[in-house]
This record gives sequence, C-alpha cells and structure tokens, in this order.
Amino acid sequence: MSSSKVRVATWSIGFLALSIAAVCTSANDAPAAGAPYQVKDGNKVDAKTLDGWKTWRALACERCHGAQQEGLVGPALVESLKKLSKEDFHTTIMNGRPEKGMPPFSGSAMVNKNWEGLYAYLKGRSDGKIQPGHLYPME
Amino acid sequence: MKRQQRLILLVAASSTVTLASAADVEQAMSKSSNWAAQAGDYANHRYSELKQINASNVGRMQVAWTMSTGVLRGHEGSPLVIGDTMYIHTPFPNNVFAVNLKDQSYKWKYEPKQDTSVVPVMCCDTVNRGLAYGDGKILLQQADTTLVALDANTGKVLWSAKNGDPKIGETNTNAPHVFKDTVITGISGGEFGVRGRLIAYDLATGKKKWTAWSTGPDKEILLDPAKTMTWTNGKMAPVGADSSIKTWKGDQWKLGGGTTWGWYAYDPKLNLVYYGSGNPGTWNPSQRPGDNKWSMTIFARDLNTGMAKWVYQMTPHDEWDYDGVNEMLLIDVNIKGQKVPAVVHFDRNGFGYTLNRDTGELLVAEKYDPTVNWATKVDMKTGRPIVDKKYSPGTTGPDVNVKDICPAALGTKDQQPASYDRKSGMVMVPTNHVCMTYEPFQVEYTAGQPFVGATLTMYPTPGSHGGMGNFIAWDPAQGKIMWSKPERFSVWSGALTTAGDVVFYGTLEGYIKAVSPKDGKELWKFKTPSGIIGNVFTYEYGGKQYVGVYSGIGGWAGIGMAAGLTESTEGLGAVGGYKDLAKYTTLGGSLFVFGLPDNTGSATTALK
Repeated sequence: MSSSKVRVATWSIGFLALSIAAVCTSANDAPAAGAPYQVKDGNKVDAKTLDGWKTWRALACERCHGAQQEGLVGPALVESLKKLSKEDFHTTIMNGRPEKGMPPFSGSAMVNKNWEGLYAYLKGRSDGKIQPGHLYPME
Repeated sequence: MKRQQRLILLVAASSTVTLASAADVEQAMSKSSNWAAQAGDYANHRYSELKQINASNVGRMQVAWTMSTGVLRGHEGSPLVIGDTMYIHTPFPNNVFAVNLKDQSYKWKYEPKQDTSVVPVMCCDTVNRGLAYGDGKILLQQADTTLVALDANTGKVLWSAKNGDPKIGETNTNAPHVFKDTVITGISGGEFGVRGRLIAYDLATGKKKWTAWSTGPDKEILLDPAKTMTWTNGKMAPVGADSSIKTWKGDQWKLGGGTTWGWYAYDPKLNLVYYGSGNPGTWNPSQRPGDNKWSMTIFARDLNTGMAKWVYQMTPHDEWDYDGVNEMLLIDVNIKGQKVPAVVHFDRNGFGYTLNRDTGELLVAEKYDPTVNWATKVDMKTGRPIVDKKYSPGTTGPDVNVKDICPAALGTKDQQPASYDRKSGMVMVPTNHVCMTYEPFQVEYTAGQPFVGATLTMYPTPGSHGGMGNFIAWDPAQGKIMWSKPERFSVWSGALTTAGDVVFYGTLEGYIKAVSPKDGKELWKFKTPSGIIGNVFTYEYGGKQYVGVYSGIGGWAGIGMAAGLTESTEGLGAVGGYKDLAKYTTLGGSLFVFGLPDNTGSATTALK
C-alpha cells in the first residue's frame, strides 16, 4: 500500500455517508419535476441512479472529482452538471478530456451500460437532492 | 578544505576503476560507526554494536543538531552514514543531500526534476524509504520509477534506469537495496492493477540483470516447476507447472498486483534474496476467484539469476489487503535445541512467521496480536490460514459491509521495520492495533486509474486498551509475545536495538522513545515537531555515538487514518483514536540527531 490516497478516498465515501446524513435536512427532498432520478431521505434512490452511483464508485471518479463531487484535480461536478447537457456529458465521459488528464471511458462496460444512471446521480448531487456517500435502493 | 575534497575525488575516481565493488558495501556495513544500509546490514537486523549510549545513560541524551529537509509530507526510512558524510533523502521530489558531519554543511545536493503528474498516481503517499550505498555510489529510487546512481563524493549522476511506467499507475516508494554488486528494486501500485516484479541491476553499469514477476507464466516469475519448492502437506514439494496462472480466472494475473515495495534481505552464504509480494489486484475478492498466486508470498531468489528457490504464500485469495511486503529478518533461531537459519516475518495479516530460510520449511506461524480474528490459526500442515467466515468479505460478497475485522487493511504491522536484539534473541516489533469494516464492490480496470473496489473504515481495536498501537518483544522460536507496551497511536516508525541494551522507536505524536529490551520500560523520550514515521538509526563520529530519526508525519497512518476517523461511522469507540492526532502534531520535515552531553564542556551546542 504505497498509494494511500486511494485508500483515503475510498474510506471517505464510507464515512461521509453517515456524517453528511446528520447534517442534511430532508425538508427540500423532492426532486424537481422531470428530474432524471428519484430520491428518498437523500440516500435512497431508484435502481438506475443506484447503478450510476455504483459506476461512479467502481471507476474511482472521486479521486479526481472529489468524494462529494466538489472537485480536486478535476472540476467540481456539482457545478458542471448545472450547465452540462446530457449529450455533452455523454461525449465527455466516452471520449474523456485527454489534454486535461481525463481518460476516455468508452471501453468500460459499466459506463456503457450505466452512463445515464451516472448522469442522473450527478444531476441529483448537483441539485443538492442526493447526499454524498453511500446510496441504497429505495425499496 | 578544498584540497581535501579534491583528494577524496581522486581516490574515489580511481577506486571505482580498480576495486571490486562487492567488498565496498560489506566493508562499509562492517564498521559500526557507519549506518551504510537502511537496516544497517543485509539481514534487516536494525541492530548496532555501539554502546556509548546505554540503558544507564540514555536518560541524559539531548539534541545534538537538527536539519530541515525542506519538504513536508511523510518521512519514512532513514539517512545513511558512511565515514564523515551523512546522506539525507526527502519524500517527493526525492531530494538528496550529502552532509559533512564535521560542521553539518552540504557537500552536494541532488534535486531531481520529476514530472509532478506522478503524484496523483502515488496519490498523496509521496513517501520514499531511503537510499542505498555501494561501490562509491548512492542509489536513489525516485517516485517516477527512475533508479539513479549518484557519485557518493560529488552527487554526479553516474547512470540511471527506468523500471516502470507511471502512466499505468506504476510508482516507487521502496528503498533500493545493494547486495554485493547488484541493486535490487521493486514497484508500487497494487491499487492500480499493476503487475508486481522485482528487478535487479548491475551496480557498476546500471544494466538490467533480471526481472522476476510475481504473477503469470513460470518463466516470467522465474520459477522452475520441478525445482522451486513450496510447503505442501507438511513438507517441501515442487510447485509444479503453471502454479500462478492456474490460480487466476482467465488473464486476470496481468492485473494481478503482487507489488514489491518492502524491505528486502540477503544471505551471502546461500546467495539468496528474500522479499514479500503485495495484495492481488482489486480489493473485491469475488471478482478474482482462486488463490491468486504468487501475491502475498515470501520469495527466496538466487541473487545472480533471480530464480526462485522456494516460495510460501501467506494469504491465499486475499480479502483484506494484507500485503506480504513487510521486512524479512534473517535470524538464526534455536528450535527444539537446533540452530536453524531462519527468515522471520511479521505479516500485515497479523501472523509472525518463522521459516527455514534455506529450505523454505514452515516452522512457526502465530498471532503477534491476540486480537487478530480473520483467521483462527495457520494450519501447520497445509500452511494455509483457517479463515473465519464471519470476517470474510469474499464469503459475504459485494455490497455487504463486514464489520470488526482485525487487523485493519494496514495490518498488525505495515512497512515499519522491526529490530532484532542479537543479545536476547528477541525481535522488537512496532505494531498497529486497529480493526476495520470492509465493503467490497464491483470494479472495472482502466489503465492509470485506481483498481480498488472496497470501502473501509478503521478504528482502534474494540474492547482493548483504546490505543491504536503496541510496541512488542517477540520470541521468533516459540512464536510468543514476551512483553507488550501499549501506544496511543500505531507505531509507524522503524525500531533500532543497540548493544547498549536500548531499543528506540518513534510515535505518531512525534516522540522518539528509548525503552529497555528486557521489559519495555521507558528510559527516555523526546518530542519532535511532527509525527515520526521514519526509522531510528545510529552512527559514531569523532568518537561519539549519535542516534537520529526523521520527524515528518504522513504515509498511510498519518494522513489516511486521521481523515478516516474524524468522521468514523460505526460508533465503535473511535474517540481518542486518530482524530486526536491533530491535537499532538502537524506536518513537518526535519532530521533530529541526539547524543550524550559532552562532559568535557566542549562542543555540543544544544545544551547552552
């Protein structure tokens, strides 16, 4: 284990799940009409969004974009998703931004299968409706 | 002064041409005034014959001099001392300073230009475990996988070699090791799907001699199916054909991990190199069925050819990230009245192993922390751990959070090397006392991206003394803890034992401590400005013994743990754990050197 930040990053997902839950209020819980995700209590989401989060986690996106999508080496997705269209999101994740250090993910089976769920998840994060950290199925 | 330097240069220039290099490092190590290798010797003893500082006067030890390294972040390893020169190294960007011990002025500085894009792939743990010396050269293994040989007298680059590719997550944190006329180095990146290997270079020229992979086809691992032996049903037997490949699904061995970033050892009599390999690729065990050989394995290899004489896998099919890279101590142990040439190893998995280092026979495998629970014991016939299903993330499967596994992923001990007390035959071991929750999940490989697949939380061992570490004395013949001194935090600093009946080690709060090897009683301590994850070393200059250590917190324990436990999820008594570290220390980067006060009233400045 010489690369400890990986571990730090993965742990942080774990502990953020509960710590943030305590801070967030559920008052503004309901997603806007037409939102691509469904969420309850901030951390229970529909199956598609859940797969999106699992893809986020599996590809370790937090390493560059931050455990709370707040941005690290890569941009803050909580901000980017306010402007980025679904189409542009798709292009970006598939082709990457090699000049800025983001690899293309078109070779990833998970991304190909779940990219819409990932978009939904990040949109929910950007809208402030989905909490950072661990997510669970709605049922 | 200048004339003197020129003279040294001349001597050095001629010596590189005429002298056989093999003698050089051994000669340097044989003088107890030097600290010519990271462990002081080939055998990883971390023991010094110096005894001017001893149990009765160590209480009077004081700061002799200090020096800033100019770099924050974790300072692992230690300086080297050869003659009147000390060689200091830093974490990334891996600067090297040659310091004149006479007046602590710099003889030369080497400041490599490294692409900073390597840092994200190392991911914050920018530690470097130190330099090696041999044949009038200082060897530096840079983070960017460049191995550099510097002229010890001038700092001039004599040769360099590239042993990896940071673009696919390959980096280095290990110290290179010089064994006779060969430099051995390894690779880091077990969390990036890197395929581990040990690499040997010719010390004189930098020409690659051999590469020995941890996983894959026999001829790439340098295994002889008929001659390489392993412990099988209570005896040694040949590993047979394809011993690695058949324990992996498909070609997963290509991302197989088994990295090699620890402390290696060498037995000149047997001409064997000893080291361990790290975790198999992805922390989600369900995704890589099989024993995943030869990750988590102790290797004994011929120095000249790299061929493995024997192998022993400690943790088949890892489910906990218990890398097998910790140091190999070469000790002759009395077992049932017989003196056995042994290799003693304290694994991350919490078992202290003693094997015959000539044959590879398994002699002892016992827990060196009684709270280790992932396995009930090691079956001495098969050599395999008996895994407790309750603590097996591979059994419960992905997306299930397994709780209270002891030890945590950082092991009952990580890289912090132990010290062998040649007088008592006991080993002084710095340890962690930390447990974890572990939730594996499905992960996909993308080159240069993390290949982890587990979420962890860590906390002090529940129902124990509340601290996260112990410093223990271990009997390698019986596999027994002789005494155990609790510590508030993991002891992440390498120990040193001396003929003066003193054991030294550092703590994460920043104390350097001297204790008695007999019972662990504290004899002296001093608080340095930052947490200590470096290794204590000693040398003699001008007739006086000195003890030194780096002060500079970081590494896995220093950064990772502090972050993890500030917001610990499980409510398992993390209060007083790593969260407290911020109360005691902060980042730093300095070298501290201690000595006894000078009774004649001359010199030492620190007292006045």
